[in-house]
Amino acid sequence: MTQQPGAIVAVGGYLPLLRLDRAQAAKSLRHFGLGGRQAGYRAVGGWDEDAFTFAAEASRALVESPPSKIAFASTSAPFTDRSHAALLVDALALPRATRTADSAGTRRCAVSALLDALLGGEDSVVAAGERRPARAGSPSHLAYGDGGSAVRTGTDGAARLVGWASIAHDLLDSYASRGHETAYPSEERFVRDVATAAVIVPAIAEACATAGISPAEINAAAVHEPLGGMWKDIARKAGITAPNHASTLAERAGDLGAAHALFALGLALESARPGDLVLLAGFGSGCDALVFRVDARVPGAASVRDALGSGEATADYVRFLALTGNLDLDFGVRSEFEQKAQATVLERYGRDTIGFIGGRDSAGNVQFPKTPIPVRPGAGGREALEDVRLADLPAKVASVTADRLNFTPDPPFWFGLVQFDNGARILMEFTDASGPGFVVGDALGMRLRIKSVDKRRGMRTYFWKAAPAARPQLEA
Amino acid sequence: MATGIKDRVAIIGMGCSVFGERWDRGADDLMIEAFEEAIADAGIDRAQIEAAWMGNALDDINIGNSALPLAHALRLQTIPVSRVENMCATGTEALRAAVYAVASGAIDFGLALGVEKLKDTGYGGLPLRTKGLANDLWMPYGSAPGTFAQLAGAYSARHALDGGDLKQAMAHVSWKSHQNGALHGKAHLRKAVEMDTILKAPMIADPLGLFDCCGVSDGAACAIVTTPEIAKSLGIDNPVTVKAIQLSASNGWEMGYGEWDGASVRNTQVAAGRAYAEAGIKDPRAEISLTEVHDCFSVTELVTMEDLGLSDPGRAPFDILDGKFDRGGAIPCQTDGGLKCFGHPVGASGLRMAYEVYNQLKGRAGERQLANVDFGLTHNLGGAPFNSVAAVSILGRLD
Repeated sequence: MTQQPGAIVAVGGYLPLLRLDRAQAAKSLRHFGLGGRQAGYRAVGGWDEDAFTFAAEASRALVESPPSKIAFASTSAPFTDRSHAALLVDALALPRATRTADSAGTRRCAVSALLDALLGGEDSVVAAGERRPARAGSPSHLAYGDGGSAVRTGTDGAARLVGWASIAHDLLDSYASRGHETAYPSEERFVRDVATAAVIVPAIAEACATAGISPAEINAAAVHEPLGGMWKDIARKAGITAPNHASTLAERAGDLGAAHALFALGLALESARPGDLVLLAGFGSGCDALVFRVDARVPGAASVRDALGSGEATADYVRFLALTGNLDLDFGVRSEFEQKAQATVLERYGRDTIGFIGGRDSAGNVQFPKTPIPVRPGAGGREALEDVRLADLPAKVASVTADRLNFTPDPPFWFGLVQFDNGARILMEFTDASGPGFVVGDALGMRLRIKSVDKRRGMRTYFWKAAPAARPQLEA
Repeated sequence: MATGIKDRVAIIGMGCSVFGERWDRGADDLMIEAFEEAIADAGIDRAQIEAAWMGNALDDINIGNSALPLAHALRLQTIPVSRVENMCATGTEALRAAVYAVASGAIDFGLALGVEKLKDTGYGGLPLRTKGLANDLWMPYGSAPGTFAQLAGAYSARHALDGGDLKQAMAHVSWKSHQNGALHGKAHLRKAVEMDTILKAPMIADPLGLFDCCGVSDGAACAIVTTPEIAKSLGIDNPVTVKAIQLSASNGWEMGYGEWDGASVRNTQVAAGRAYAEAGIKDPRAEISLTEVHDCFSVTELVTMEDLGLSDPGRAPFDILDGKFDRGGAIPCQTDGGLKCFGHPVGASGLRMAYEVYNQLKGRAGERQLANVDFGLTHNLGGAPFNSVAAVSILGRLD
């Protein structure tokens, strides 16, 4: 080691609106002897969300100034040969000179990427997103959760890396492969015993040793458990008395896979006070354990806590089945509509579309999309429009309806005119309707979402949708 | 200085197929059905037609592109045939093309024919189509009722109207059209419906229920036009003439510039203003005898009454509930049932509107005949309130 390790500059986390009440869901499986005894909630992605959109949403607040590098981590990324990190560059409107990296292969990949960024002292964002498939009735289906997390690193930050260790261990607790996209699990007792004793506890011990601390000094933990309920045993064997925020996350939103540990890190950092030690551990084919010393409040940590505490509970198991791809509903002939996105068109407009870049004309009016001749009344010819990113700007509903005729995988299809405070007006889809839905004048925030899915060709496009500016609070 | 087309073109023959679910008829059958009525009405030989325009909006359903389907169906002999398309304003656009050709002196006899075979889609409502590869990257795929439902919320917000009042007025629009459609043997929906049934219908796009939406139909309508002088030479003493045809189209202002309040359709206002000027109409409320407007959805008709200047802003719901636009009212609207009940084969609708006004002017409207008809207005609206093409035409008699 020739240079000082980097630090955490800021954290971010994103969870979808819906939270399935696991106990209610388990009742639906009782007849089959499946489901078991369940508690807590499972975060469920909308039809228009995926691992990439989760990672992008989690990263949005971390890129006010552009990082030198952005890394995307997931085991459920939608594309196998298309860089999601490069897509993130466009979605977050970062310079094209931003270095990119994509990592996968294990749930641990995000923590590994973070460790690399810290050891390299990089000005970097590590963005993780996960929407893992699971079969209905399997323990994973209710245990998993969908969501994203992100960490900004730099040479200076509120939480310094003071110790770390890595263990590579091909422990086959579960695996997924091409053609077998859902994880195949090993016997739980085997996983609990071996993962604890041979992988996680040794990694934690080594990380604490390099930090020059005793595990008992850890104030907050974000240790990704291979299976729920392992923390008590891990903590006892490692000599830790601190709470594990990864366990809380699993209980209240589910196991977020590659995004889990970094989201839990945000929760742990939010609970920490200056001087505290925070333990992060990512598990999967081994373990990366990192120890941080917290010097100040970490930007974004409070928003991670808020993300966990807001959402909308649902007991609708059938809707859950449909949203997780376990129920192939026949929506009729209108759903046969196909849309092919052309690479040539994406090359011309893709970056401005996914980055939600409009333009300001010579009179100051903002519009989307940009056009050679502005939409402003009286504009008489071509103008060079100044780029304006609309993704983070406030807006209101100008007109709206809940369309029950056109196909959408999760009806109704909300859409209407969105009026931005800066003057831009755009016809948009709405998403995340809760309660009675939208009315004229409602405050809106923008969310990156899937715009279209071309199942036949394995393609999807992304754009932004208007969501309620605030989410309801979940009952504790 | 252009002087417009007032009284420069006469309509000497019109025809309209039965509208509806014409499972046993193809597009060519529908075109022939409309044309045979029109050519018999005109009393000319088909060989005298020198040019034809076919209005067809959805070429992916049954018809195919170009105007060749018209040339094939009618076996037109090597005359120029052209397809025109301007979404739901297509029918009026076809009429405008033929009228302009005659007015220019290029031809003596022109044919305008609109046709649509919508019921080959295999499902209800209009087919869902791409909006263009670049627009598809961001623009929502809202349905037609979804786009027009936006008018309702914006209208209520602008006029501080209780949603229940608007719903009641919208229901009256549909109730009235069902009353009228029941009297027309060619209408798609020929059954009167109770207000309560309309109000309790399933929701399609909030707040539009099933009965707030027009019928999606198969059908064709056509017109044969010539000069008033030729019309008189054919023995038509006081022919129906075109007083005005005007269009206005969106340039992106409504949906891209934060000025429009969404409670009216600017293109209708503009096209109507131009049409009144072209026709010499000074006081539409006193001079217009009847209207056939684009009631694709009940709220569209309601807003159109204001955009045409037939109701004061914010008063259309109350005028409607007072019966002003009922068949026995001051300015009857949709005496044939309108899009709502006569049906809406998109490319044919503008010509179907003209067909009803033409028959009213000629005193041929049977049970629906109005007592005094001097000027009839048709209003054809393509697209969505936030991105539209509005066409307004005014028909009357030469003298």
